Amino acid sequence: MSEQIEQAIAREYEAGFVSDIESDTFEPGLDEDVIRRISEMKQEPDWMLEWRLQAFRSWQKMAEPDWAKLGYEPIDYQTISYYSAPKSMKDRPKSLAEVDPELIRTYEKLGIPLHEQEMLAGVAVDVVFDSVSVVTTFREKLAESGVIFCPISEAIRKYPELVKKYLGTVVPRTDNFFAALNSAVFTDGSFVYIPKGVRCPMELSTYFRINELNTGQFERTLIIAEEGSHVSYLEGCTAPMRDENQLHAAVVELVALDDSEIKYSTVQNWYPGDENGVGGIFNFVTKRGVAEKNAKISWTQVETGSAITWKYPSCILRGDNSVGEFYSVALTRSRQQADTGTKMIHLGKNTTSTIISKGISAGNSSNTYRGLVKMGPNADGARNFTECDSLLIGDTCAAHTFPYIESANPTAIVEHEATTSTVSDDQLFLCQQRGLDIEKAISMIVNGFCKDVFKELPMEFAVEAGKLLEISLEGSVG
Amino acid sequence: MSQWLANVIDRASSVNDWLSPVRQEALTRLKSTSWPTRRTEEWRYTSLHALANLTLNEATNSKALAEAPVVSNLNSIDIVFVDGVPATDLTALNLPAGLTIHSLANASEAIQQQASKVFNQVKPDAHLFGLVNDALALQGVFINVAAGVQLEQPIRVVNLVSAGIESHNRVLVNLGANAQATIIEHGAGQGNSMNTAFAEYVIGTEAKLEHYRFALHGEEAIHIGGCHFKMGESSRLNSTIVGYGSQISRIDTDVVHAAEHALAKMNCIYLLGPKEHFDLHSLIEHVVPNGTTEQNARGIVGDKARAVFSGRILIHRDAQKTLAELHNRNLLMSRGAQISTTPALEIYADDVQCAHGATIAEIAEEDLYYLQARGISRKQALIMLNFGFIQELVSQMPNKALAAWLEPLLRERFATMESE
Repeated sequence: MSEQIEQAIAREYEAGFVSDIESDTFEPGLDEDVIRRISEMKQEPDWMLEWRLQAFRSWQKMAEPDWAKLGYEPIDYQTISYYSAPKSMKDRPKSLAEVDPELIRTYEKLGIPLHEQEMLAGVAVDVVFDSVSVVTTFREKLAESGVIFCPISEAIRKYPELVKKYLGTVVPRTDNFFAALNSAVFTDGSFVYIPKGVRCPMELSTYFRINELNTGQFERTLIIAEEGSHVSYLEGCTAPMRDENQLHAAVVELVALDDSEIKYSTVQNWYPGDENGVGGIFNFVTKRGVAEKNAKISWTQVETGSAITWKYPSCILRGDNSVGEFYSVALTRSRQQADTGTKMIHLGKNTTSTIISKGISAGNSSNTYRGLVKMGPNADGARNFTECDSLLIGDTCAAHTFPYIESANPTAIVEHEATTSTVSDDQLFLCQQRGLDIEKAISMIVNGFCKDVFKELPMEFAVEAGKLLEISLEGSVG
Repeated sequence: MSQWLANVIDRASSVNDWLSPVRQEALTRLKSTSWPTRRTEEWRYTSLHALANLTLNEATNSKALAEAPVVSNLNSIDIVFVDGVPATDLTALNLPAGLTIHSLANASEAIQQQASKVFNQVKPDAHLFGLVNDALALQGVFINVAAGVQLEQPIRVVNLVSAGIESHNRVLVNLGANAQATIIEHGAGQGNSMNTAFAEYVIGTEAKLEHYRFALHGEEAIHIGGCHFKMGESSRLNSTIVGYGSQISRIDTDVVHAAEHALAKMNCIYLLGPKEHFDLHSLIEHVVPNGTTEQNARGIVGDKARAVFSGRILIHRDAQKTLAELHNRNLLMSRGAQISTTPALEIYADDVQCAHGATIAEIAEEDLYYLQARGISRKQALIMLNFGFIQELVSQMPNKALAAWLEPLLRERFATMESE
């Protein structure tokens, strides 16, 4: 099997290309001036600038975390450019027709023609190309039901009260090193507001792309679901091939008020670096949601890209009867390193959480699940079920599981299970006997291993996720 | 650095004996080690605050010949230490052929040579209190079981501590090829004391070790120690650790599968009352292929007590065909009690089967109802169910005399525990 597998591994990253668009990029380096300029370019109010500066000052005093099972050269934050905007964007386009055709071609290469997507999938796409949101579709349709879906820079100008009320309430400025950095320099991201009792009429989706050489991408997303509302948000990303490590430090905050539901799905396929570990995205993400009474937050992620993944989408189950879910597939190959998992903090009574994590490691990669389940003293009748399984393909990869379980309530119940195994020769033999080639067989076995997570993905995303995993799988089996 | 550690370094600097080179090395490391805080991963859930500024005396000679706790029908060879000072005349012991027991304090050159093959050969050198023990354990025993010797009589090292005294001692055990032995480390004592006790075991090819460690100290005590095992080819280990919890009670139990086809079975029981704290850390390391490990830790935590379990299975790249399982089950009995458990897997080999599981729960209402419907009082039913949970591991202890002695002790302790 080894020869075929090696061929499969040698496969190149499919989304790897660089679009040639003139950009307006800051000189590398970070100081208060850079932050003032970012804020100025975004035409932000003073309070926002002050907020950024305070974050920056805290960040300067913080140390980069080193507890994750990740090895990488220290990042020099002064060699990174903190702002990059496609030039032709200075006068905002009014419609797709006004968008730089080069950009449109980029999306077409990625297989997401906007027009088609608009009609076929019924998905509103807020496209982020480097740091400025290029176009937002379906805005009118959403506005009819009172839903706000716009770039966060626009929200800061148009809905300052909402942003002021919620920004930093879930992930405080000083939460961690990367969140503080993001708070200081974030350039764009999405803002979603679902009014009371509204069920968002369509799935909301954002495509991210990192394009400029050496520009960190610092997205900031804030989703607010008012009482009794419902929203499903999809996030997918793919980046062109580069030899330099690119830093990505995003923050996502979810506010799920009483009886509301937020479903957040991610397919992440940043450039993972080549087979020697050169290049690739460094992805340090802070994602967290607060669920109030009877609210539900559900995270689903399919992580196939990035050289370094540092990501722990979490739920703070503050309200009674609130529900948190985390479904994850993390696939690493070549020299990829992933340290990912979740935190479920049970504070309210009768809160429940489910964690299903599937890690697949191949090549020389390292895949770590790190999670925390915490039952607070008032979490009467709270319940958690965790299952994390690892699949090792090849004898040079590594799979780790580091769950932290804390309980301070005698009526709370926590169950944790973890297994580690390999694709056995018996399984392969069985499939091959039935006429499947080895690649198909492995793909089938791995897909079966992940099915508990895939079934949680929204329909609109399932096709994309399946395709991504298939491509990654072909290149990851060894 | 804490005041206590500064004192340790101060005292250890003047020690001069055959282990001085080792002690000096430990001292150098200690000087560069920072005092653990809540941010130190290894001490995340165990605060050393109570120890930081503690000053206790060291005993110089054994005050009273305290009686070792009696275990009927055990018929063991007892070696008793009181506050770290030997209370047993080792030379007067009547030992079966093939068994030698020597004091570390006045070991002959030949014994020094043998003991050096165990001393610090198994214990990891990163453990702060292991280093303290390296530097300050002037007393200890070296137990050697010659190849092929199968001992019927268990050997019991009793470690009694008393209020106001700080003590450090060490147990070194070498089990020759095909040898078989039962070794019991029995720690007990009341009052505000501080004790470190580390034991290292080298288990030879096809040798069998039955091991017990009882950390039955009072609630005011501070006890920090470890038992570390190195498994030879096709060797067998059956270890049972029982802990009561104290002001600080921390035990590290580590197993290294250094040769193939070894089997380690490890059980642990903890039963914590009032404000007791018990912290069990375990690292099972599979370095070579075809090893098997089975670990079961179960605990009941009542009142305002806190239990910490950190179990890590580390499988190296070459350790293919490893079977390793780790289970930690806990019952929380009352509000105010806390449990933190971190069962971790670290795996670098692909053809292995590993699993871990952890649960924290209370007794199910249905189970209680079932018993109550049969005329058993709720209180009695609770005791039956909770205790049954622990008793399963007690009944797995191969030494029946020990099991018979331990069961009523645990049952009595359980009956006094606060529950809701």
